[in-house]
Amino acid sequence: MTTADSHNGRRLTARGAKTRTRIVTAASDLMYVKGVRATTLDDVLAASGVSKSQLYHHFDGKDALVRAVIDHVGERVIEREREALGHVSTIRGLRRWRDALVQNNALRHGAYGCALGSLASEVSDHDAVAREALSRLFNEWQGLLAGVLRRLQDGGGLAPEASADQLATGLMAALQGGYMLAQTARDVTPMATALDMALAHIESLSKD
Amino acid sequence: MRTHFAEVLASESVCLAAVTNGAKLAGWRRRVVEELMTPRSPYALALRQAGDGAERADFLDRWRELITETLDRLLRSGSTGDTHCSSGQTRKADADPRKTAVLILAALHGGSTLSQIAKDPWPLNAALDLALAPFVATEDNGPARTVMSSPIGTMSP
Repeated sequence: MTTADSHNGRRLTARGAKTRTRIVTAASDLMYVKGVRATTLDDVLAASGVSKSQLYHHFDGKDALVRAVIDHVGERVIEREREALGHVSTIRGLRRWRDALVQNNALRHGAYGCALGSLASEVSDHDAVAREALSRLFNEWQGLLAGVLRRLQDGGGLAPEASADQLATGLMAALQGGYMLAQTARDVTPMATALDMALAHIESLSKD
Repeated sequence: MRTHFAEVLASESVCLAAVTNGAKLAGWRRRVVEELMTPRSPYALALRQAGDGAERADFLDRWRELITETLDRLLRSGSTGDTHCSSGQTRKADADPRKTAVLILAALHGGSTLSQIAKDPWPLNAALDLALAPFVATEDNGPARTVMSSPIGTMSP
């Protein structure tokens, strides 16, 4: 059985695909905890247990690995968010979404932030391909939030003249900024406050 | 890093002290957006994730306090852009300056990250429109956007 390697177009054997996944998973975990810049290829080799030649067989260098990490993390985050937001059509549902994210982050005292947001704040400067991939992923995530807000509008829970896309982007910024504030404070309180304030504003737009 | 933090705080102390009404708050916001959209400006560098945690925490606390004082002053004087709010929007009378300041800082942080990856100030402006809604009229943020303007391709495994 073979699998396509998305970045170099090579066909991978099942064993090759497994090795590649091991590398990307180890790199994702390291970059989440240590940050992209602080993670070296030697760290990835040590954590994944693969050889240097295996790593270079799959990736030309760190940039290629970072792009694979973005795909991997992005896929996980979008899948989680699609499940969490796909059928939400009320403010109460949005608050439950907020609660889950805040509670989850509280388990780590806010230490590591959003897996996708951390990548965005670190790699956006120097790799246009990575930046564009992140931009597409955030658009997709914001699209899920905009979908919730449109369903709210359909149900009369949000004024029809409100821009669902603009509010979804504002809510995403509050979430991402909240993660960053929580990370610095090692406390999720500012993240909870930012999301509560953003949701309170959205809720206020439903009032006559 | 220390220099960027100090530069931003020095600039913010002066600029926020001059904010006495909703129109001046809108002017402050435009200047900060410009700063954040300028690569390697002290603002852009100060909001990056890297750097000493304790220093960053202190920097953010002090900036938040400056914003809180400004919003509190605006509320007390009653001179905000309240008249521009549509009937459904959060009223300034309900606004909590301290919590609003947290949302503004989050909007600056998160909005600038989204704007950097999009190479477009629109997300940052959308974030600030939401955060500042009780205090200033919505900025003209260019033509309406659709965040899902094109189908997203299937992600790679």
